[in-house]
Amino acid sequence: MKTRNIVLMLMLCFVMVFAAACGSAGSTNNEVNQGGAAEPTPQENTNGEAAVEEPLSGELVVYSARNEKFVDALLQKFQDETGITVKALHAGDAVVNKIIEEGNNTQADVLISNDVGSMEHLRLQGLLQGSEPEGIESIDPLYRAEDNSWFGLSARSRVLIYNKDLITEEELPQTIWELTDEKWKDQFMITRGGNGSMVAHVSALRNEWGDEKTTEWLTKVKDNAGAITDGHGDIRKAVGAGEYKFGLVNNYYYHQQLNEPSDNNVGALYPDQGEDEMGVFVNAAGVALIKGAPNESNAQHFLEWILLPENQKEFSFASKEVPLNPEIQTTEEAKRISDYKTMSMPLNKLGEVWLDTKELIEKAGLDLEIK
Amino acid sequence: MNNKQSLQKQHTSKVRKPWFRTFFHYCSVKWNKLWNGHPPDYVLLTIASITALVMSVPIIYVIWRSLFAGSERWLKLLDTRIPGLLWNTLSLTFVVTALAVTMGVALAWFVNRCDLPGGKTWQWLLALPLVIPPYVGAMTYIIILGPRGWLWDVWGSQPWLQSIFENYPINIYSFWGLVFVLTMFTYPYVFLIASASLRKMNRNFEDAARSQGYSMQSIFWKISLPFLRPAIGAGAILIALYVLSDFGAISMLRYMTFTSAIYYQMGSFDSVAATVLSMVLILITIVVLWIEASTRKRTVHQTSNSYKPPELIKLGRWKTLVMGIVLAVFVLSVVLPVIVLVYWSSIGISMGAINSKFWQYTWNSILVCGLASLFSMLLALPLIYLKSRYRSVFTRMIDRLAYSGYALPGIIVALGIIFIFNNYIQLLYGSFILIAIAYIVRFLPQAMQSGEASLNLISPRIDEAARSLGHSSLKILFKITLPLIMPGVLAGGALVFVSSMKELPATLLLRPPGFDTLSVRIWVEAGEAVYHLAAPAALLVILVATLPLRWMLNK
Amino acid sequence: MSYLQMHDITKQFHDGSKPAVMKFELEMNKGEIVSFLGPSGCGKTTTLRMIAGFERPSSGKITIENELICDNHFSLPPEKRGIGMVFQDYALFPHLSVIKNVMFGLHKWGGKEKKMRAEEVLEIVGLLDFADRYPHELSGGQQQRVALARAMAPNPRLILLDEPFSNLDVKLRERMRFELKQILYRAKMTAILVTHDQKDAFAVSDRVVVMNAGEIQQIAEPRSLYRCPKNCFVAEFLGKTNLLTGKLDADLKHVFTGIGKICLPVHTTQQEDQVMLSIRPEGCRIKSDGKFNGSVEGITYCGEYQEVLVRLNTQENNDQLMVIHAQVEENLQVGDTVYFDITPELVALVEAV
Repeated sequence: MKTRNIVLMLMLCFVMVFAAACGSAGSTNNEVNQGGAAEPTPQENTNGEAAVEEPLSGELVVYSARNEKFVDALLQKFQDETGITVKALHAGDAVVNKIIEEGNNTQADVLISNDVGSMEHLRLQGLLQGSEPEGIESIDPLYRAEDNSWFGLSARSRVLIYNKDLITEEELPQTIWELTDEKWKDQFMITRGGNGSMVAHVSALRNEWGDEKTTEWLTKVKDNAGAITDGHGDIRKAVGAGEYKFGLVNNYYYHQQLNEPSDNNVGALYPDQGEDEMGVFVNAAGVALIKGAPNESNAQHFLEWILLPENQKEFSFASKEVPLNPEIQTTEEAKRISDYKTMSMPLNKLGEVWLDTKELIEKAGLDLEIK
Repeated sequence: MNNKQSLQKQHTSKVRKPWFRTFFHYCSVKWNKLWNGHPPDYVLLTIASITALVMSVPIIYVIWRSLFAGSERWLKLLDTRIPGLLWNTLSLTFVVTALAVTMGVALAWFVNRCDLPGGKTWQWLLALPLVIPPYVGAMTYIIILGPRGWLWDVWGSQPWLQSIFENYPINIYSFWGLVFVLTMFTYPYVFLIASASLRKMNRNFEDAARSQGYSMQSIFWKISLPFLRPAIGAGAILIALYVLSDFGAISMLRYMTFTSAIYYQMGSFDSVAATVLSMVLILITIVVLWIEASTRKRTVHQTSNSYKPPELIKLGRWKTLVMGIVLAVFVLSVVLPVIVLVYWSSIGISMGAINSKFWQYTWNSILVCGLASLFSMLLALPLIYLKSRYRSVFTRMIDRLAYSGYALPGIIVALGIIFIFNNYIQLLYGSFILIAIAYIVRFLPQAMQSGEASLNLISPRIDEAARSLGHSSLKILFKITLPLIMPGVLAGGALVFVSSMKELPATLLLRPPGFDTLSVRIWVEAGEAVYHLAAPAALLVILVATLPLRWMLNK
Repeated sequence: MSYLQMHDITKQFHDGSKPAVMKFELEMNKGEIVSFLGPSGCGKTTTLRMIAGFERPSSGKITIENELICDNHFSLPPEKRGIGMVFQDYALFPHLSVIKNVMFGLHKWGGKEKKMRAEEVLEIVGLLDFADRYPHELSGGQQQRVALARAMAPNPRLILLDEPFSNLDVKLRERMRFELKQILYRAKMTAILVTHDQKDAFAVSDRVVVMNAGEIQQIAEPRSLYRCPKNCFVAEFLGKTNLLTGKLDADLKHVFTGIGKICLPVHTTQQEDQVMLSIRPEGCRIKSDGKFNGSVEGITYCGEYQEVLVRLNTQENNDQLMVIHAQVEENLQVGDTVYFDITPELVALVEAV
């Protein structure tokens, strides 16, 4: 008798949950369908202004590899201003894999990424499509793809975050090469070689130093580093807490640590700023248009929208990065991009050398090194 | 019309009768031989086969992808990466499994067979770590034992400690740190299964052994432990496969195993290397399963006609020691993590971490996990029934396939599902049902293990009796077997629910845009080391998962 | 035509292994009760399970009422055979009450008839008052009767009982043998019973199939089985016996053995000279003027009789031990010399195996 009751209850639960599941699944599908149906006939790409006039509806599917806090407000603003429902998937670098896997049946319209290398990688795989959005000229051609299928918006400089209680700016290594010096053994942190920012950085170093010297740098740094982590979050935390004196991060991690309620006595050093030195490496975060985007006209609209100066500003400000467009003002804490010396490698070359760089990192053994 | 056709068919078959007949006969003989003369019910077989097929999606994906890896790539990985990863992975898996099994069995023994103060309350208190995701555990132990953790603060204020040890001696980012964390949060798998078996253990066996002059101690080694062997095996598999597939805790504590390597390779979009590594991981899983199966003796069916509950052992002077151990485990695996989470949650809540969205995440979690747990109970049934009652190469294959998703990293499972569903079955794509499917693929073996343990206690004669009374095996499954193994099946469902609540990588990739669950929130916040926002979600995961666990243990 | 026919049944569990059952042949009439008797591992349970459909014969053919049950190409699933089975451990469904257990096989019956039939069979086995109890609340004998009622309820064409008495104590066992026979007769059931205890087989069945190592040794009624065992395995398996070798006399009615000339109950048609004799202990009657004598080696008191181990001198000068029965009032001591006669009715010629 008892078991029968349990079985009955279970059945009931099952039916309920299933009904709920089907219901919402159906509604999701419906929304998509409606979006498809209501989608205005594709406009000529160049006909941007006309598109703005038209009442907009439907949805926009955004895959974002960026921290969702940097993106959410911006997307909300877009939704409010245009009436297009934004559906965002925040899943870190995994979204890039998802885009690759979905290649045959594209789901996403737009990718927001932290790393130019991965966007160029997608483009070389034929998963992005070129466009000519209005306002694209405001971005230096160094920071966008040949066909403008992706473009950068904000700069992420590779800086040394350090704990002011343990070391002063003068004592710190002033160049990236100095990290190979024995005297820093076990005193600093880096991310592993497979980290997107690191791959891009190493590509730039190869461009500057050649493969041999870069390999030497990789091997020595691997042995010298006190800890090698997967991401930068761990580095800023550990340096802030004084576990290590300094670490190599993207500049906005420094700003994040500054905003922590404790462990925030940190500083940032922009390396290689001397007379003959190569300058700091700058990666970029930006957006890309996916090939075969289901809501293509909305996506086009988004690209143009985000290129509006105020939105460019918001894009960088949210993460305390530096706008790539020099005409846009910078947050107070961050240096302007023109205030420091940057490495000369054009970012849109990152994709081509990407595989070679990875192989170099693998050879040095840093790709899967964690300690 | 139909008749005519069949007539024609008959006619044509008559012409070729010898060939057709012999072929058909050959097939049917082979088929019968495969099943030892007893082919199972076709409905069950079909359901089980389809389940196995879905379960093997990640494997198919991995094999398909790794075919594209040239031999050069294989050789390079074999040369440079695989030996080190193999050592890392196997040593970690072995040590954690051994320790967790020891701990789980010992605790189960203390709780169920000794006069421990507090008695059966410990049964569920000690099972609680099951609901704490190991990455949350790792997070809390980094906060407590980390290089600048709470203990370090205490250290700094106690000069005499420094005078003894000089430097702070604990390094949580080490092999043993990781072993500690993983053991603490995986031992309940063995603890629960061993407890269930201990409670079912018939006192007669022990009485018999005592009458032969064995001491309680040697009875434990000679009678109870062998009796617990299937339970230990089942628990050890769950733990070993968990360690093989864990990413969260392992990456937080900066260790490298196959799974984390696969994640990192995927992170740099090297899916070829990732799938090659996955192939090796699958091989390891097969070996683990094979070791368990080959060391297990034949399943014994205990008849319950003369069941007597076993006698409680008086601990006497050992009481303090045993109590100390039990308390220590509880404090380390439950109390401390919860304190840390409460501490950070209170900071988070005061900063407004809980809003209406937060409850939406909670509902989403419950919805997907509930769906997954219901379906895994239903799908596990045919699988375990066939495995237990119709032993053959075929059922063994289905069984093994069902395990394949369990050992594979969630990201591979997710990509496999995207690969299949986005290309071929687009109806479900973009719906959260896909997440539930991923959970089933990953955790069905948990439901199977639990159901199987109960099923093996039921004599096959019961089924035969029902069949001789004129019921088909499908009907018997629902009218006789299911009611009898219901507690086990429900426990399995609860286990799947708890595991799903903790699952991250597949959820992350498969959720439709805008659909967040609690574990996703933990990841988002903890990934940026924003503990005060991660903690409320983690605490809620623990609370929600505690309910089914509590219920399951009350049975 | 007989009711159940089993023809040339062989069962081999694994290729190349020794068959568990070899060339089994049996025909049964409706209403007949047959026992399969043999030591454990002789293939009797396997045979039973093949009839029930839980095992499939490697070759051979079974029919009931001329309906094909299984042959080399076909096997009717157990649930379609209409054969009831009582298991050794009864296999009652622990989550169902007694009446529900009994009604379980009546799923094709209408609601009211179902209840009535269940009550009817429970009445037959005398457990109507226990209808709402659960199996674990019943004693062993009651459980067994429930199992029987459950098997009988759907009016099966055949009832199979697998070691039905093995879980019962001696007293209960005796009573249940009697009751089982009564119940089966009253219900006019055709039944097969598997047992390793000849008392079960003799008490319940009309005919007994003695099996050893997968092969049928003899099929006969209990009485003739005991008195005229076909071979020495059957003779030894069914109670105590003394086996003696000897030479057949020309008159075909006497045998010359080591201990002397022994008379057979009837003239034999045996062709060979060298024969083996089985002499039951109870066929040896102690008599002061008995023809045979020997010294007492040991005495076992069995309640209603005494079993006496006697050493006899033979002509070839090697001793022959024999077991004979003595009345309880006979006051015998070890070392005594006893005289006894052998009654021809309990002497049989057997084949040496």
